[in-house]
Amino acid sequence: MAGRLISANHAAAYAAALAGRANRTGRGFCSGVYPITPSTECMELLCNQEIEKGEVVRVESEHSAMAVCIGAAASGARTFTVSSSNGLALMAENVYAAALLRLPVVMVAANRTLGPPWNIWADHGDTLMLRDSGWVQLYCADNQEVLDSVLCAYRLAEDHRVLLPVLVCQEGFVLSHTMTETDVPSQERVDRLLPPLDLPGRLAATPRVMGGIDAPHTTEVHRARHHEAMARVFGVYREVQDAFERELGRRPADPVVPYRADDADALVVSMGTIASTAERAVDEARARGERLGSVRVRMFRPFPAEQLSALFRGVARIAVIDRDISLGFGGVLWGEARGLAEPGAVAQGYVIGVGGGDVRPEHVAAIAADLRARNSAGRPILMEAGA
Amino acid sequence: MSVPSPLPGADAAPARPAPLLRPGNSNCGGCGMSTAFQIFSRALGQTRVQFVVPASCAAVMAGPFPTSSLGAPALLSTFGAGAAVATGLARVARLNGDGTRVVCWAGDGGTYDIGMASLSAAAERDEDLLYVCYDNEIYGNTGGQRSSATPAGATTTNTPGGKPEEKKDILAIMAAHRARYAASLSIAHPQDAVRKVRRALDTTGFRFLHVLAPCPTGWKSEPALGIELVRLAVRSGLYPVVEIVEGRKLVINCEPDFSTEALELYLSLQRRFQRSGLSNERLAAAIARSWRDLRARSGRIVPAGREG
Amino acid sequence: MSDPLPAALPTGGPALPLEIRVHGRGGQGGVTCAKLLACMFAEQGLHVQTFGDYGSERSGAPVRAFTRVDTARVANRNKVYHPNHLLVLDAALLGDDVLDGAAPGAVLLVNSARGLAVFSEGHRGFRVAAVDATAIARRHGIGSAALVIVNTTLAGAYARAVGIPWDVVERAYRTQDLESDLPAAREAYEAVAVREPEAGAATPAPRPRTPAPPRVLGIEELTEDLPARLPTGSWRTQMPRYRSHVAPCTAACPAGNDVVGFVQALRAGGVEAAARVLLATQPLPSVCGRVCPAPCMAGCNRSAYDGAVNVRALERWIGDRAGPEAGRASVPRPLRFAVVGGGPAGLSAAFALGSAGHEVKVLEAGPRLGGVLRTGIPAYRLPPDALDRDLARILALGVDARCGLAVDAAGVRELARGHDAVILAAGLPRTARLDVPGQALGGVEEGLGFLDAVKNGGGRLLGGHVVVVGGGNTAVDCARTALRCGAARVTIAYRRGRAEMPAISSEVDEAVAEGVDLLLHRQPVALIGNGRLQGVTLAVVEPGAPDASGRRRPIVTDRKATLACDGLLLALGQGADLGLVPPGWSVRDGRAFEGEGDGATPTSVWLAGDMATGDGTVSHAIGNGRRIAGRALAAALGAPAPAEAAPGPEERVSPAHVRFSYFEVIPPRPERHAAAAARARSFDEVSRGLDDASEADRCFSCGRCTLCDTCLLSCPEGVVSRSDDGYAVDEAFCKGCGMCVAECPRRAMEMTLEAAAR
Repeated sequence: MAGRLISANHAAAYAAALAGRANRTGRGFCSGVYPITPSTECMELLCNQEIEKGEVVRVESEHSAMAVCIGAAASGARTFTVSSSNGLALMAENVYAAALLRLPVVMVAANRTLGPPWNIWADHGDTLMLRDSGWVQLYCADNQEVLDSVLCAYRLAEDHRVLLPVLVCQEGFVLSHTMTETDVPSQERVDRLLPPLDLPGRLAATPRVMGGIDAPHTTEVHRARHHEAMARVFGVYREVQDAFERELGRRPADPVVPYRADDADALVVSMGTIASTAERAVDEARARGERLGSVRVRMFRPFPAEQLSALFRGVARIAVIDRDISLGFGGVLWGEARGLAEPGAVAQGYVIGVGGGDVRPEHVAAIAADLRARNSAGRPILMEAGA
Repeated sequence: MSVPSPLPGADAAPARPAPLLRPGNSNCGGCGMSTAFQIFSRALGQTRVQFVVPASCAAVMAGPFPTSSLGAPALLSTFGAGAAVATGLARVARLNGDGTRVVCWAGDGGTYDIGMASLSAAAERDEDLLYVCYDNEIYGNTGGQRSSATPAGATTTNTPGGKPEEKKDILAIMAAHRARYAASLSIAHPQDAVRKVRRALDTTGFRFLHVLAPCPTGWKSEPALGIELVRLAVRSGLYPVVEIVEGRKLVINCEPDFSTEALELYLSLQRRFQRSGLSNERLAAAIARSWRDLRARSGRIVPAGREG
Repeated sequence: MSDPLPAALPTGGPALPLEIRVHGRGGQGGVTCAKLLACMFAEQGLHVQTFGDYGSERSGAPVRAFTRVDTARVANRNKVYHPNHLLVLDAALLGDDVLDGAAPGAVLLVNSARGLAVFSEGHRGFRVAAVDATAIARRHGIGSAALVIVNTTLAGAYARAVGIPWDVVERAYRTQDLESDLPAAREAYEAVAVREPEAGAATPAPRPRTPAPPRVLGIEELTEDLPARLPTGSWRTQMPRYRSHVAPCTAACPAGNDVVGFVQALRAGGVEAAARVLLATQPLPSVCGRVCPAPCMAGCNRSAYDGAVNVRALERWIGDRAGPEAGRASVPRPLRFAVVGGGPAGLSAAFALGSAGHEVKVLEAGPRLGGVLRTGIPAYRLPPDALDRDLARILALGVDARCGLAVDAAGVRELARGHDAVILAAGLPRTARLDVPGQALGGVEEGLGFLDAVKNGGGRLLGGHVVVVGGGNTAVDCARTALRCGAARVTIAYRRGRAEMPAISSEVDEAVAEGVDLLLHRQPVALIGNGRLQGVTLAVVEPGAPDASGRRRPIVTDRKATLACDGLLLALGQGADLGLVPPGWSVRDGRAFEGEGDGATPTSVWLAGDMATGDGTVSHAIGNGRRIAGRALAAALGAPAPAEAAPGPEERVSPAHVRFSYFEVIPPRPERHAAAAARARSFDEVSRGLDDASEADRCFSCGRCTLCDTCLLSCPEGVVSRSDDGYAVDEAFCKGCGMCVAECPRRAMEMTLEAAAR
């Protein structure tokens, strides 16, 4: 077996521990954690790891979990937390704070819908709620990608041209509790990938206020600079991919992952494991002679508009599948991607799998069929995946 | 990615530039929090500290970006997260063993109310941090609303007829957490106060200091009388000046005279008490109750000596 | 406000649409001010809009507020950039920022203590108006001492300046529940001064928009320490100042001693430092430190706390230990003075003149210097060596003392011819008589003569029961001396009560402790005996209506009783003998004049001490002797008389000014006294004085800075620092909260309004 048979939750925990240890020659590692289904196993495993010069603080809420990360990151430590759903909602204030303070915190979300009514299963609504919080957002499609993304996230976040927190998303249960063989790299390799964190403005002995009062004109500048740092992420991420490939021997996925899209006349655009399902549906469609392709949006913030535009060029029909819904509007991804379609192209939104419904290839096939039957886009279609 | 540089201790502390609270800060004249900073500063000496300041007047004071009104590094946190953010700083300080003492400097809103959960949790975890609550008994930064530290009878912008409920006993709450050291200090008794700050800085584990900090704006009192008001609060027994070690050993540091004169003067010098119809008798009874309890907890029936 | 009134303004009202900008400081109520103005226009049926420029400002920081007025609904949601009216709540804000965007003819109303003088050349193009709203609001108690709230007052002035009728103002204040501020508004309405714009005068050029504002650092770029330094000194409306005030002890000292000064000098610098202060006014510290009734102690603010500071004992401590030489000034041409009388007043005058470097001759009728100190005060209270120690210091100045030399009126004329001035200080040689039958009986004796005989005449032996008549120090001295001379029983008969006895209270207590009986409210009406005194008939005296001195006039009743006794000492007080003043001369205010009435011409002869004033205590005599010497010297030099400005009551430090909580309760250190039984038969000094000078530590130092650091430690801003001679307040940052002054334990500081005009 190549690698260890572990869940994505555990993959994330191993990655965090490796990254944490890698900072033992720097200011160390400090994580604040709080349990919530379906991310709990990640924090549990992390709490059982031996991390040299590392601390995992078992706090009383997600709000405090992120607060501990903020304090630790401000002090120059590498940090980590993990959460889901209402936990992220409670944490939201500090999620914003970490980004606005430009702290390179890394967080993993095991995606889960918000309640009540209580529902522990996956959709992307919880992390998309944090869309505008100023974090880099990566959506994963398998366990190895989760592990690799967490490692990449540190290298990306801590780059002086970026200095932004990164959120690595993996759908609850679908990934979080699903065990597959996953390569867990050695500490030596990770040490080479992740040199000690050097936060330029870390709180040390110099009197200085981190987060002092902004006036309107300073906030305008600070937001603009934050936005510019986001724009630099694509370039830096390419360098991270190169370094990762050099040190660990495999290349992490691009911000946008096309599948048989080159000659496609219709595309299915989605995030996370829906895209894996879509790729299976594409294979089936291709077998039937349909020129269907898939595009997986892996990096949602910054939004890879240029890459998507390039892929959409010459494509007449685009289905955007959201495992989330912005109530009163439609799918969030659809809202952002549809404007990138060429003039005259049909960009139709479909919402499916909200609250954890099991989205299967036949659902994608139905979507593709609906798309082909259209001459123009209509209102988003809310589908039921069922159990 | 740039070359990683700093190793622990690489930024070895230059002597902390005095003063801790810099002149030219934005606090109101006569702010009790400013006075608390002066006392803290005197106790500090060359101790290396980092501050966490949750949303509050102190956060506004700390400095309009990019300036600093504090002579020590400070991290401004969200309102309810002071103790948790301080936890992060304190853990990393300990990991790096550089002797930095982390201080969370919060108002009563950030302590008694919105910050209670993170405060309680940090105390329960016995985090190595010093939590200072400067208590002006009001949400001063938002213009003067009631908090659970507002005393009964005080008029605030959202209790126009006077707050009906009694103030929380924050020290009892902290004692119930078996905090390593918890003390109330009086800005009118600076020797005792400086001693307590020093002791709190030198103790390892979770420590809590409570400072009654007059707010001339919210209390509607003369800015010049802030220290005198605290003196009267101590004399009348309204504000017990005590210290509690490990949640068990309670010592009364200043013996009140429980005089009606002090109580009446305390109330009459603040317009916030003038519309509530608060009676001295009711207050005196509440004071007597709380002191019976304090004496029982101190195991000392005989009053202690009085400091000027 | 929603009444559909026609949009008409009274004649003279401002043109519409109208934009108003209010400049103030946090806490002054700029937003309320702008709202109040809006109300005044809304009351007239106009459409208005009003808002503040909200920020995180605190008390004292500059803030702005805006009001718009129009005949139609106001849709403009921007700040006001081109105001027609400008209100400035604090004159210190009056700079180009305030005037920015204002066109010629705009109304500019400023709260200023300087009236229209606050405006300069650059304001000539505006319709300027000024009123001292701070003073008015302060008078009406609006706000606090540190932060006077001037908004409602200035709004009243605004109404007048722009022609809004008073009844509109009243309605507007009522709608805002600000009726209580109407009197202040009315005062400002009436007091505001207005000046019309000068045609053609330029207004300041518009402030150039900063082309490139300083680069804003990124959050992640901030690594440096950039101290915040807001100009908080400009926020304050009052300023602390270090200033001494007069302590009650100093104010009460008849000798004019700087009591706080010498006690604090003793505490901080020891005996020699204290002596330098004390000897400036006090030639007889060893004497006064024993016999002064110490009004300083009666006035001591500490007596309201834990007992007066034992100033008298401290004075004795200094006098007994100070060196034998006092400082003597050197003058190029010493003047010559003659002093007649070697008692306290004469010695004081001689000491003052000698210290000033002049030649002084003292003529004393008795065999030795000292006057009543030598003859009238018993040795157990004032041992001769204590007096001699003080005298030696006086003589060390070169004072020429001639004893046994009685001077008469002719002699005075002669002395006046031979000296630049003559000071007569002959004391009170005449004793008051008791007008009752039987005074010639053996055993009836004058008290002072008795005391002198005992002290200087080799002693006396008494026996039986001795009655002393009187209630002053002489009476008590006689009683205690009689005991020491062997009297079996001594009774003091006094016509008033215990509290009214002029004698030093502690002396009376000591006498009683030694066995002296007090028989109060009694007056002798007859002495009974046959050649020799056998008894005294005493009538009961009842207190009547108060006399001019406030004491109740005694009324002698006919209830009498006879007290058997063997001796009677009369101590009824003394009077002056003005026979020294040459015939035809008159005395006015301590100076002798030739002739009488308006035509009298001043002479170089002066009268000092009891002879002039009849005050009757050593310290009064010392004070008066020194002052007369000063006047005589000034007159001799042709200089104006030295000022003797008595500080006003507002300069005094009263108990209310003392912050008692600062001071630990420490009971007074008593002097060591010999046991009553042992001392009652001995002429050894009863009081052995203090064991140490720690009593000086009890002094509050009322009104005098002791460098106690309380101001420094209580300053919330940390802007008080030590300077060379005391403390300095950093004016650039002091917010004027007044904490230092409120916390000063001893009123060595005060708040002034001087900073208000900054």
